[in-house]
Amino acid sequence: MNVLQINQLTKKFGDFVAVDRLSLTIKEGEIFGLLGANGAGKSTVINMVASLLRVTGGEIELLGKNIAKHTKFAKSNIGIVPQELAIYEDMTACENVKFFAGLYGLRGKELRSRAEEALAFTGLSDKRDSYPRSFSGGMKRRLNIACAIAHRPKLIIMDEPTVGIDPQSRNYILNSVKKLNEMGSTIIYTSHYMEEVEELCTRIAIIDHGKIIAEGTKAQLKAIITNQKDIGIELRSAEGLQAEKLKRIAGVNTVMLEGNVLSIGSDAEVNNLSSILQELMASGMEIRSMAANEPNLETVFLTLTGRSLRD
Amino acid sequence: MNMWRIAIKEWATLRDVKMIIMMLATPVLLILIMGTAFTNSFNGSATVGEIRVLYEAPDGEGALAEAWGRFIRDAEAGGVRFERGSGAEDGKLGVQNKAYTGYVEVTEAGLRYYGNNRSGIEDGIVQGLLAAFADRYKLAAEAAKDPSGPQIPAWPGGAGADYVQETAIDAPMQPRAIDYYAIAMTTLIVMYIALSAGLFIEDERKRNTAVRLLAAPISKMDIFAGKILGMLLANTASIIAVVLISKYMFGANWGDNLWMVFLVLTTQIAFALSLGIGVSYMLKSSAAGAVTMTIIQLVALFGGSYHRIADDGTWFSEVARYSPLRWTNDGLVHLIYSDSYATASIAMLINIGFSVLLLAVAVAALRRREGL
Repeated sequence: MNVLQINQLTKKFGDFVAVDRLSLTIKEGEIFGLLGANGAGKSTVINMVASLLRVTGGEIELLGKNIAKHTKFAKSNIGIVPQELAIYEDMTACENVKFFAGLYGLRGKELRSRAEEALAFTGLSDKRDSYPRSFSGGMKRRLNIACAIAHRPKLIIMDEPTVGIDPQSRNYILNSVKKLNEMGSTIIYTSHYMEEVEELCTRIAIIDHGKIIAEGTKAQLKAIITNQKDIGIELRSAEGLQAEKLKRIAGVNTVMLEGNVLSIGSDAEVNNLSSILQELMASGMEIRSMAANEPNLETVFLTLTGRSLRD
Repeated sequence: MNMWRIAIKEWATLRDVKMIIMMLATPVLLILIMGTAFTNSFNGSATVGEIRVLYEAPDGEGALAEAWGRFIRDAEAGGVRFERGSGAEDGKLGVQNKAYTGYVEVTEAGLRYYGNNRSGIEDGIVQGLLAAFADRYKLAAEAAKDPSGPQIPAWPGGAGADYVQETAIDAPMQPRAIDYYAIAMTTLIVMYIALSAGLFIEDERKRNTAVRLLAAPISKMDIFAGKILGMLLANTASIIAVVLISKYMFGANWGDNLWMVFLVLTTQIAFALSLGIGVSYMLKSSAAGAVTMTIIQLVALFGGSYHRIADDGTWFSEVARYSPLRWTNDGLVHLIYSDSYATASIAMLINIGFSVLLLAVAVAALRRREGL
């Protein structure tokens, strides 16, 4: 069953086309990863699905119903975890959850039990009567999630839910996402952390300039770039490295540097390894190790969009 | 129901102790400071210092000397001391040095008085006394020219030193300084609600809670109305507290019909809220706050918040007629001091009318807008 069906979705801000005839289907039980650099259009898509923005063209169906015509139904079945914290600092954790759940029509005992359930799920039961201003960044993120799930939505939209938190809270949130999925929620997940997307998502769409440029499982996406090889070179120091010179070598498509580790994406057919090594040595680089890497989502993204996800 | 849920949520801000102190302490302190500082401006009486007058007058047993002697004895009984001087030069010098209120030369040709303008009230009293003496003496002298007619003593002496007496018929009660500023500062603080009202949606945006509110299955109108209702209730509660504190701590006169006073103030709160919201939706930028602040300052200046404005036909008093604060202040003054509902009713109608107009503008802008 399709939880979300997007057909030819378009959004314009004046003359600027933020989303360009985008179509997408998300099935029940999926954790769907939406990847895109800043300004690619993924937040605009999410906001239209959550009825926060008006649609310029196309249509969105949630559980088979057009959200423009059944807005209340759609909103009732969606839970949104915004990228920025969206909680009231002057209300306790429990009051926050109860207030937002109350807006979804929950009342009385049911409201109380669902709020307690959401707090327990996010590990905040013992902080139920505390004010968020006394919380750590990770706890606030968890409360942000609790406020979105108390009404048990069919579709949960998580927009960068792990930004700026400690590894322990991050693991907690990633496990929570898996649990929510096991409990029956379909999830749309966006993140700048490629490894999170690789770990969690059953299907992924890469969005660029308002269009989906690739969509599928991890294996399907990686298969797109079988004609690519990824060479990983660890340098003693990358100081003075001239990436532009490397890019001019025949067959080299992408050059990415993280710390002292150089990742070079190149056409698999072109034998250019000796040229790459010669260029590095001519630049005075000292090579510590070298390996032929398996293509990962980062490579896929870089190859397809020409830029890093964090650009 | 969701509207009420959002309205009740607005009360959460009232739990902030610092916020409550600010909301209550500011107007209460303003009432106390202004009410104390301007006490004299609102008094019907003034305190007069010691009055000493130097004089030169003829000695002996002449009619003038006799009458003058009786006059200064009576005056001294009333608190005005006349001391014989030692020449005109010394007398004038004493007045210049403010040692004496005035110097008077008494001769058969008349009275010559040198007063000190800087002792305004005291100088006026002395002049009044001297004028009374001169008139009486002149009358007695005229009567003495005809021995067959009734004789008038040049200065009768004894009791009856009430030289001027004024009696008002059914004099209206007038507010004291504390009474006036209790009203003026309360209505001024109410106007400042417009500033926070202008930020009422901006706050939700800054906290990102606007996203959650909009994502929930409730209408934008529910959110809008709920927030206004919440702010109206919270601010009404704090203004009622200010009125009660000024009434019971400072003895400010709020009249016998407190419920009506609260009703007038509630309509003014509605007006201030609508003003802030209306301007913020019309301008949609940070300039909205500056514009609202300017409006508040102008309506306060012309509304009599800082000083009482007399209807004296000047351009200032003419402009003051159009200050919304003036309408409310006048309404409250008439309600409290004349038991008159007419002016208060007009003030309420104007407040409600403008509120409806400004909110209609905001609602029209809200409907067109994506988001709040």
